Formats: sequence, C-alpha cells, structure tokens
Amino acid sequence: MACAHCAALGGLWAVAGPGHAQAPTGTGWAMPERFARPDLATDEGGLWAIMDREEKRLRRSPFKIRDEALQRHVDDIVARLAGPHAPDVRVHLVRVPMFNASMAPNGMMQVWTGLLLRAENEAQLVAVLAHEMAHFLQRHSLHNLRNVKDTAAVGLVLSMFGLAGALTNIALVAGAMGFSRDQEREADRIGLEMMAQAGYDPREASRLWTNLVQEVRAGGGDTQPNAMFATHPGSEERADTLALLAADRSGTVGAEVWRARIAPWRYELLRDELRRDRPAETLVLIDRMRNLEPSSAELRYFRGAVLHQRDGEGDQPAALAEFEAAVSLGQEPPPTHRDMGYTLRKLGRTDAANAAFTRYLERAPDAPDAALIKALTEVTS
Amino acid sequence: MKSRLWILAAVAALAAGCAQVTKVATGEVMLRERMTVTTATTWNQFERGLGNDTPTWTQEGLTVDALQFIVAIKDGDLIAPTPSEPKGTRPLAFKATMQPAEIAKLYETLWTRDGSQYTLDRLAPETFAGQPGFRVEYSLVRKSDDVRLRGMAVGAVKDGQLFMIHYAAPRMAFFPRYQVQVESLIKTARLR
Repeated sequence: MACAHCAALGGLWAVAGPGHAQAPTGTGWAMPERFARPDLATDEGGLWAIMDREEKRLRRSPFKIRDEALQRHVDDIVARLAGPHAPDVRVHLVRVPMFNASMAPNGMMQVWTGLLLRAENEAQLVAVLAHEMAHFLQRHSLHNLRNVKDTAAVGLVLSMFGLAGALTNIALVAGAMGFSRDQEREADRIGLEMMAQAGYDPREASRLWTNLVQEVRAGGGDTQPNAMFATHPGSEERADTLALLAADRSGTVGAEVWRARIAPWRYELLRDELRRDRPAETLVLIDRMRNLEPSSAELRYFRGAVLHQRDGEGDQPAALAEFEAAVSLGQEPPPTHRDMGYTLRKLGRTDAANAAFTRYLERAPDAPDAALIKALTEVTS
Repeated sequence: MKSRLWILAAVAALAAGCAQVTKVATGEVMLRERMTVTTATTWNQFERGLGNDTPTWTQEGLTVDALQFIVAIKDGDLIAPTPSEPKGTRPLAFKATMQPAEIAKLYETLWTRDGSQYTLDRLAPETFAGQPGFRVEYSLVRKSDDVRLRGMAVGAVKDGQLFMIHYAAPRMAFFPRYQVQVESLIKTARLR
C-alpha cells in the first residue's frame, strides 16, 4: 500500500514538473510565488516576529510531539502540497485532545492530536493540512490584521495595553478572532485543489467533516465548544460544498499507511480522549473506528471505559460486555481487567471483581494504583 | 489562547476585589465549620479560591502553589462550582457511593479539561482524619503555561460527604519546598 501510494504521488510530481505549483487549477486559483520574509518595520513583519516568538516557545513546549517518524511523515506530505513554499512551512504536532489545526502567517502550522486520532486515513489528514496551507498562501492572517487595525478594536487595544503593546495585542486579537467564514470557504476550495493535485482523494475532506459533525451532534448538537467550528461555515453547508467540489474525483486514500503510522500513539491518544469526558462524542468516534477495525481489543476496552465512566442507566452491564469482548479478542490492555473489576463491584459481583483485580495485578504489578487495588481485594475477599 | 484569557479574567477578578486575601496565622484553623487543621507556618488565604468556592491557601501566589480544602462536598454537589460551566461538558458532581478511584478520576477530569497532561503517579489507601481514605499523587503539565506540576491529595468520605486536602506546585522547586509542611498539616486534619 505504501509503495503504491508513493509511486502514484511520484508519478504525478514527475509529470507535472517544476511548474506544477504555479499551474492554474479548476477553481482558477494559482499558487503564488514563494513569499519573501517581510521587513520587520512593516505590519506584516511585526506579525511574523510575534509568531516567531510563539513558535520558539512551541518548540520547547512539553506538549509538542517528538516522534521523528511521525513528524517526517507529516513533513513529507506538506512538502508535496506546498511546492515552492515547502521550506517556509513548519508543522508542529501538539498534544491536545481536541480536533483542531491552525496556521500562522510566518508558516508555523499547529496540528492537534485530537485531529490525528480522528483522521481515518492519510487523505483526511491531507485535507486539513491543505486547508491550513491555503490560509497561508492567501495570507488570510495579514488581511485580518489589517482589518483589525482599521476598526475600533485598535482603540480598545490601545486603551488596554498602551502604544508599546498595541501591535502585539492587535496580532493576538486578530488571532483570537480567527478567519472569517469567507476565508474558510476559500481555504476549503483551494485546499481541495491542492489535495487533488497531490494525488489524494478530495472526497475524504467531506467525509472527515461529516464524521466530526456526527460526533458533535451526539454530544448535544452544540458545535461552538469545538474550536474548528467557531468561525467555520455551517456544518451541513461545508460538508455539502466539499462533497460537491470533490464529486467525480478520486485519488489515494492511504488508510493502512496512516493507521500504521499513528498506531504507536493510539492508546495514549484514546486515553486523552477519555479525559475530555464527553462520552457521547467519544462513543461515536470509537464506534466509527471499530467499523474500520472490528477485531481491536483496544477499541472494545476504550468503549467499555467510556460507558463505565459515564455510569448512566444500563452503562455498567454494557461496559462489562465490552470488557469481556476485549478479553475474548485477546491482547487487551491490562486496565481492561481493572475497569472490569470496578464494573463488577458496581454490579454487586464481588468475587468476580476480585478475580478481575487479581488478573490486573498479575499483568501490571507496578501500576500506580496497584496498592489501592490490592487493598480492595484484601478487604472484600 | 483561551487559557490565557482565562488567566487574564482571573487576574482581573482578583484585582477587582472578587477574591479577598487574608493571612492565616499559625495554630488551629477552622474551615467551613467542618474541618480543622493546625498549621505551623503562616499562609495566604483565598476564602473562595479562584472563583470555584474552594478555600485555597498559598505561599507563593495562586498561580504558583495552591493548597485547597475540599470540605463536606455532599452527594450531587459539584466539586468546583464556577459561574458558568464549559459548554458541552458534564457537570463534575460528587456521588456519595464513589470509590477512591472514581473520586481521583473526577478530579483528574477537572484538572485536564483545558488540555493539561496528567499522569497518575500513585493511588493508595491512606487514613485521613481518622477515616479510611486514600492518597493520590500525580504529575501535570499545565496547558496554559507549560509548567510541570506535582500534586498530591489525601481525602476520605465520611457520612456520604467528601473531605480532601489537595496541594499542587511546580515540581522542581516549590513542591519539594512545601511538601513537608503540607504533609504535616494533613496529619492534623480533624472532621466535625
């Protein structure tokens, strides 16, 4: 799968040649020439300097994912998408369990791990990377900065921070306001073209969005808490538009290659997801993942853990069924037995709970909660 | 960005006098009429914490170290009531039937809602104020400023109500500096 994928992309790149990046596309959009670094004395230069400082902080952040193979994988994708701009774009993978990505005007892109977990395949990840690249290429942040400077917000910022802090805080205000819906629509259109030019299936962009909408709807339908929804076009409009633009097109999906790349992280990212404590959303996510990987004991464990944690009517028996299914599939994570023990205790089955706790201690004798589990079994046996 | 705005709002609230600071003298101190502790050193007290109605003491300032007293949380009560709960999140309510692991999970959720990274270092049984209780030790990387914290909490459920003392501070200097004082203070806790 991986070889076929590379060959397809390599073929496309070779045929297109060096002028490919500037070639007009189906939308009439052409990739701009590589940007020169703006003069520090200009508003754009000031904005870049602020973002450079933020990037310096991000490089040292403990939330930055430091996984060479994963980083190289994402960097390679960006190189294919960005053409002549590739040297100017840096992707930082950041451990935050929400679905989000952002692009700064200096070429700093942040991709949160909640997004990496939710991408079903490489094409869905590419859809987001290309969308963010489009913001960069269209210099949307700079337009926002100039809009903010032209509005009464300047007065507010000046009154709050004084002249010295004004530029910094205008930039922060511009960042906080995010991109406009028109800018998002433009980034969607251009991103889709970039995706198709790089050989990926553009239809995956709409699928990613539809998946996300299903999750948020399950959580009560309020899309505002999710950062990606705050300034984006209406959910249905976006999914429909992306689907329409991508109709009759195809390309590489890259499901297996992406699943293999993210596999070393998946357990930890699912734990982060569990900590978000949005059970309805997480269940939709896990069910979708299970459809693609029905024999995964890990996914059965996490589904049980969500139900156990939610502890609503009927959740504990349902959680127990998931834990039992995980055990029968084999290679279940050790906490399956611990959580099964807690579930059985809630169901009043103390002996079975103790047996599960004992299995947990056998598999994870040095677990941080081993002392508590041991005490529980001693009290109740 | 949101975290920074939250800190700005908290600082603004402090500046506006919403959170009054008082000095805690050495000796026995009564907390919410249900818990007493005896302190050998003075502390600064925020009676209602940072808007979460939790009595909080500090040596270095609330954004550095915080000693919190969770006193008589009843069945169904929110563990950290705030003026507005984050949209789409479950209310973090204590249940009288909760086991120590569930209580630890409840607080873990509170501390990681903003994307902070939590690692459980130890969860063990421990007597608290004469009651069979529990001890939680953890590490946290705070999302708002990337600071690495260490935290500990010792607590128990008595008559269906949760009592707990929690301390967290940056792991390198401040946590070890005050850990012994905090451990000694926890041992003096009495419930009414």
